[in-house]
Amino acid sequence: MERNNILKIENLHVSFGPVKAIRGVSLEVNEGEIVVLIGANGAGKTTLLESILNINPSREGSICFMEEDITRKKTEHIVASGISLIPEGRGILPLMTVMENLQLGAYHFKGNLNKSLDMVYKLFPVLRKRNKQMAGTLSGGEQQMLSLARGLMSAPKLLMLDEPSLGLAPVVVNELFQILEVLNNSGYTILLSEQNAKIALELGDLGYVFETGNIVMSGDTEELQNNPRVKEAYLGV
Amino acid sequence: METLIAQLINAIALGSIYALLVIGFNLLLVVGGIFPFAYSHIVVLSMYMCWFVLKITGNNLVLGTVAAIVSGVAFSLITEPIFRPLAKRGAVLGSFIVAMAISMIITDIMSQRLNMGIVISFPQSLQGKEALVSFGTATITAGQIATIAGSIGSGIGFFYLLYRTKIGRAFRAMGQSSFSARLLGIPITKTSLFAYGIAGFLGGISSIFLAMAIGTASSTLGDNLALKVMAVAMFAGLGNLGGGLIAALILGLAEGMALAYLPGNWSQAIAFGMIMIVVMVKPKGLFGAMA
Repeated sequence: MERNNILKIENLHVSFGPVKAIRGVSLEVNEGEIVVLIGANGAGKTTLLESILNINPSREGSICFMEEDITRKKTEHIVASGISLIPEGRGILPLMTVMENLQLGAYHFKGNLNKSLDMVYKLFPVLRKRNKQMAGTLSGGEQQMLSLARGLMSAPKLLMLDEPSLGLAPVVVNELFQILEVLNNSGYTILLSEQNAKIALELGDLGYVFETGNIVMSGDTEELQNNPRVKEAYLGV
Repeated sequence: METLIAQLINAIALGSIYALLVIGFNLLLVVGGIFPFAYSHIVVLSMYMCWFVLKITGNNLVLGTVAAIVSGVAFSLITEPIFRPLAKRGAVLGSFIVAMAISMIITDIMSQRLNMGIVISFPQSLQGKEALVSFGTATITAGQIATIAGSIGSGIGFFYLLYRTKIGRAFRAMGQSSFSARLLGIPITKTSLFAYGIAGFLGGISSIFLAMAIGTASSTLGDNLALKVMAVAMFAGLGNLGGGLIAALILGLAEGMALAYLPGNWSQAIAFGMIMIVVMVKPKGLFGAMA
């Protein structure tokens, strides 16, 4: 069965002044998939994810989400139409409580807030316990959980994560990736950017390899895992 | 003893006006991402508008009050598009310069064009000088009571909005991280306009209380207030909304007591001396920046 297309990026260029960060990237995400972007620091993965939300203004090409052209739409419109980005460095609001962070995640959510809260508390029981605590007092792992939970509060159609494993202990990373798998099994579509190519390729269905603003390889994650160039450059084999 | 109580009430009334002004100032600083030096000038300009409407309506207090609040909101909103490009780039220092330019333009308009530059005086009926409570030789006036009650009411309303509503959460989110606020889908321009509107509303209310407390206004009042508001905000910690309240009351008390019990007018030196010492010891202010 052909899967519905959720996100379609065609020939995207992004520059910061004279510096070209993304040079002609095309990429697709279909419903129910986990698509992973791998590549070194500075390859343009973060820029790509932020560009989807129109955070970087200087762009060419087109971005379609659920068959709507969102290339020139405002960030708030894109978020409201169903894309959540869990940013690199988590982006939690340290001087607000865990609960307030979660409420902000549902800024555009029209459904039942308590149901959403119950859902994320079930996934992350620790957040229910820390409910009234300032988000800045959580541990790094808990902050990453909060950031993910906040992104889920609006029941997004596409969940994007930028380097979620950064700065986390391996055991916490495993826990986090198990949760991503659970989310995917329950129907979430995920676009994941990750420097840790090994765990990313194990989790994902499709992978794109980024080098200096270009996609140099793409395909099934199994194929990529066995590709000699990927093995050498990203898997350290 | 009676005089002391009367002086205290007077000082608290003054402090509560400063508190409202500092709240508006901090709101623009935190949510608007600018250094709103011209905020106090807009408040004084609103005093002029109030005075003008009182004059042409034969001292209709309701219309005068409405005029003050509407001008506060309108003038504040007008400045938003001017500051927007600076706020977007996070150019706080640049916004300070722009705000100074706006404040000087307002000051010149007031001194050249409004009432031919002559000091304006508010009618007795607005000032509320009649004694509501008197004991011995001392009195507490209706104006003082109205100022204190009105400020407390506005303050409670504002903090309710800030900590209990969706727009309040959006305000605080923008203050802590404009990047995260954008990712969460908070409409930056709309929320920012809302903050300017609320700051203008509080400024409009303060302009009435100022008219009651001082009874007059002139083109130099804007600078005078702007320095105090800026100093109180730094005394408390820039952007610290709760701390600003306490610092404003402290400044009001210090100034009021100095006026009452020291020969001559030392109120400025004492107020700013206190601020100087606090900033020297704690450069981020008494309660720390941003909350």
